[in-house]
Amino acid sequence: MTTGTATALACRDVSVNFGPVAALADVSVNFAEGMIHAVVGQNGAGKTTFARVAAGIVRPDKGGVEIAGREVPVGHVGQARAAGIEIVHQSFALPPSFTVAEAMEFGANGSGSLYTRRDLERRWTRHLESLGVRVKPRERIRDLPVETQQAVEIARALVTDARVLILDEPTAVLSPSGIDNLFERLKVMQANGVTVILILHKIREVLAIADTVTVLRGGKLVEGPTSTAEVDAARLAASIIGSTDDILSETDRDALVGAAEDEGKETEPAHHAGPAILDMRGVSTRPDPEGPALENVALTVGRGEIVGIAGVEGNGQRTLVRALSHLADLTGGTITLSGVEVTHHPLSARRANGLRVIPFERNSEGLSLSSALWENWSARALLRDGVLKLISPARLRRACTAALQVWDVRFNSPNQPAGSLSGGNAQKLILAREVDDEATLIIAAQPTRGLDVGATAFVWRSLREARDRGCGILLISSDLDELFDISDRIVVMLSGRINGEFSHPYHLGEIGAAMTGADR
Amino acid sequence: MDETIIAILRSGTPLVYVTLAGVLAQRAGIWHLGLEGLMIIGACSAVLGLVQGGSIIVGLGIGIVLCVLASALLWFVIEKLRANPIIAGLGLTGLGLGGTDLAVQAIYGSQASVNAPHGLPRLGPAFGEYGVLSILVVLMPVAVIAVWILTRRTRWGLQLAACGEHPFAARSVGVNPARMRLAALCLGGVLCALGGAELSMGSLQIFAYGMTAGRGFMAFAAVIFGGGNPLGATGAAFFFAIVGALGIRAQLLFGERVPPDFLLALPYVATVIGVWISGKLRGGAKAAASFGELRDY
Amino acid sequence: MIGYLTQVIRAIAFVFIALLLCGVIFEFAGFSAPLMFQSIADGAFLSVRAWENSLRWGLPLFLTALGVVISFRCGFFNIGAQGQFYMGAIAATFVADGLNGAPAVLVMPLTFAAGILGGAVWALWPGLLRVRSGTDEVITTLMGNFIAGLFLVYVTSGPLKDPSGTGQAASSRPIGEAYRIAATSSISPAIIVIAVLVGVGMWVLVNRTSFGVLSSLAGRNPIMVVWQGARLSRLGLAGFVIGGALAGLAGTIEVLGPIGRLSSGMLPTHGFTAILIALVANLSVLATAVVALFFGGLAAAGLYLPVLAGLPAAAIDIINAAIALFITARAWPKRLTGLFGSRQDAG
Repeated sequence: MTTGTATALACRDVSVNFGPVAALADVSVNFAEGMIHAVVGQNGAGKTTFARVAAGIVRPDKGGVEIAGREVPVGHVGQARAAGIEIVHQSFALPPSFTVAEAMEFGANGSGSLYTRRDLERRWTRHLESLGVRVKPRERIRDLPVETQQAVEIARALVTDARVLILDEPTAVLSPSGIDNLFERLKVMQANGVTVILILHKIREVLAIADTVTVLRGGKLVEGPTSTAEVDAARLAASIIGSTDDILSETDRDALVGAAEDEGKETEPAHHAGPAILDMRGVSTRPDPEGPALENVALTVGRGEIVGIAGVEGNGQRTLVRALSHLADLTGGTITLSGVEVTHHPLSARRANGLRVIPFERNSEGLSLSSALWENWSARALLRDGVLKLISPARLRRACTAALQVWDVRFNSPNQPAGSLSGGNAQKLILAREVDDEATLIIAAQPTRGLDVGATAFVWRSLREARDRGCGILLISSDLDELFDISDRIVVMLSGRINGEFSHPYHLGEIGAAMTGADR
Repeated sequence: MDETIIAILRSGTPLVYVTLAGVLAQRAGIWHLGLEGLMIIGACSAVLGLVQGGSIIVGLGIGIVLCVLASALLWFVIEKLRANPIIAGLGLTGLGLGGTDLAVQAIYGSQASVNAPHGLPRLGPAFGEYGVLSILVVLMPVAVIAVWILTRRTRWGLQLAACGEHPFAARSVGVNPARMRLAALCLGGVLCALGGAELSMGSLQIFAYGMTAGRGFMAFAAVIFGGGNPLGATGAAFFFAIVGALGIRAQLLFGERVPPDFLLALPYVATVIGVWISGKLRGGAKAAASFGELRDY
Repeated sequence: MIGYLTQVIRAIAFVFIALLLCGVIFEFAGFSAPLMFQSIADGAFLSVRAWENSLRWGLPLFLTALGVVISFRCGFFNIGAQGQFYMGAIAATFVADGLNGAPAVLVMPLTFAAGILGGAVWALWPGLLRVRSGTDEVITTLMGNFIAGLFLVYVTSGPLKDPSGTGQAASSRPIGEAYRIAATSSISPAIIVIAVLVGVGMWVLVNRTSFGVLSSLAGRNPIMVVWQGARLSRLGLAGFVIGGALAGLAGTIEVLGPIGRLSSGMLPTHGFTAILIALVANLSVLATAVVALFFGGLAAAGLYLPVLAGLPAAAIDIINAAIALFITARAWPKRLTGLFGSRQDAG
């Protein structure tokens, strides 16, 4: 326990329930002033809920929050901000069409006065410069690269005199060097007297920056705040994951908690890839609404091979998946699937050829949340067989029930809406649909994002099994630990281009450099 | 020429007020299809208030109060009962049309229209031919600029836009999107009352059943055409008014050779073309986001 | 099952709330609300004659509402049923009027085909604008209603005008007796058979074909079916065209049946009521049949009120509008949630 300094933020017996699920249960914790605190835990451990309760966005069912020794009414953002607490969200919370200056202005305290555009820009340029954020105040949020967006978001949080700054998983979207820059910036803030609370899920990062660490598991406080000088990676990993050794190999566990060594180590022997299942040659696209254009991308995936795509988010990974799914406009190049050129084939034809897609957005692209499980599950087969075919819903429901049981989905009835499933079960439903015997190339885009340990391990095992059956797998992830753990080969994307290809053993430094272009 | 300009101002002004109401709702993230109903409530109240209450102020006051109440009802249904904004808006429109019909019938029996003894105050002979324009025509540019400043040059406007575009962003800086939407809708109610009053009392001095004839929907189209910008939407509203005025001109010119119904349809056709063009320019409709009940993302 | 039951109860509850609001409006306007509701019930359901009338109004509404069900299920807000209904009626009248005198076996199929096609075409262009260039279909179909209404005025006072017409509203010549499928203002077995056949066909389409499942997935989440490889534009266009065709069929039936001619400004709230029916029925084909009968009853009462009870027919419009205001509500107000069920999530 850290003692002797004043408390910046204290939570007392905080409990939050979402429906029947307890997101937080009786969490009491004190954060000392002027330090950098880390809060860690798996996905679903309640970290984000905890941050939002502290910032007044979520009203807890029970408990209280004190800032600098003063009780703050819970569930009231205005009061929490007035008391000096600010939050930077994981998926940023600035309206994309706003300019940087407007984004600064809309969150400032008070009612403000009339402004002219130039006024606004001048005022906020000064603020941004003082924080060392290099961005034109006239640029729109949606046009900014991810790292700049985050810097703007932090600057937005500091327009008031924040005494406590909470950052919810700020490193998830950054490259290794971006993480270093962020940590430098946070240390400057700490020196200026701001208390920083970082929600993290990688032990490596915790040990690199934080003064204390607090661990949440299943909505409960497991330990902390403990001085980071007193903990080591192994103990922290055990405390984050709990006793689930049975389902995880040691390397998987290290990958999950981000405790793997910096330097690559020799793991299992690299798989020998068979003949190419996917062969992209010189593929270029138009700029896509969801990312930069692809430029001259050449990529192959062989039979029985997992190819990982690394890169900072927004460097063309989405465009790549869309181009492979015939949803982005190609301007050049060819795409060949299992020896058949499919450059101009629609997605339905590519799917008939063995292509399967686990898209980025589980809840919008992968599932219709308000539709029944059996409808979601049977969509692929129904489309394959033609739209005017007569069907028997009862038979489809039975088939769906059987398939979901095989895939270990926890559900009550095939008629329940997909939105009632937890994230892990929803992803298993998608796997049940997309990973079938006729699949030859599976594109898995961020397949474990937001999943807890058990579900993540399940997804990894499924992908490895599919590989062992001879599928080619293209895995897109922004989590380097995940890629290192299960990819047979890693390809780095930068600004819509392929910027390097790596095989075992992987080195974080090399790949990180390729992600930011620092290798040139 | 002057005559045409006067005609355009007269038919355009009611449309502009209602369009501004639509802009406010749009920026708060609500597709407002109740504009038509609010407008006819405003038109009816102005005339009935004058005839029954004896004063134009009474008419305007009743119109404003009723339109604000109706807007608050729409807000309650959309925000608190989470009803689909499009269907609820159409329902409000139906309530306005049916309610005003009922009110007229309750007072005058089965009479189809009500004449007013006089209209809104005019500019007067000092302005020559333009003296026939009502004061609400003169106030219209003021309203446009006021709404423009409110939405584009104040922090409140930014917060309102955030509520429409990214409600979570608004909530996380302590802005209550529900409350902002209520404010936007009620302010829009006032504007609709004025637009309706100008329609029935500006040049015609008569209230007839269904006299809005789709102007509320045209205003809604102008909002989309103008991309939620008050100035652009005002421009679009005037575009529809000009097409309408040209239709009437054409009718005088061609007489019997072109059926009058075709010319009457011109503003509606122009609206379709306008929405089509703006859809092309902005890469598609955004209506999907308001599908609420039936869509789940 | 329980979920379904709650939906039904909720729909009924909100209809009840809407009627309460109407009662307040009636009282406010100086009419006795109990008397109003009593007269409506008399006109709609409380006699054999009333039931016949309810069927007469309900069956065409049922057909148009089915079209709305299909296109809403596909996720498109085609609110142009009114215009599609008019265009179907106009096309049918053109054929029946133009071929007057020819044998019925030839004229009838052509008339029905023309009516269905007329409605379908009037739904096709907003559909094409929607799927090709993303033009918002709410506006285009709404404007389509106004344009079709004006076109109806034009044809009834122009090309199809009845020279002997004396009524206030312009109308076409009466449809030839040989082509009529029902006597004026009444229901006939032919109309019932058509409604049942179409109803069964649509039930199969929605509940027993891939199209039914995929279109409802697309309606709830178009992005998801695109990632499954569906061509959204085709599903959507099919929805638009089927919706228009059914509205056109209803228009044809009105012209050949109870109305017996085309008249300007006929049934001006038909399309809106059909949308309401579809929504109250929660886009289910079976429920649409029941709900259509209820609204058919209201429509029948709309004629009964001014003639027999001396009350304004606008009361029916107000009831319809109030139901529209509330019917899509998905939640109870927060303060009531403690009494009625689970809490909404706080996020």
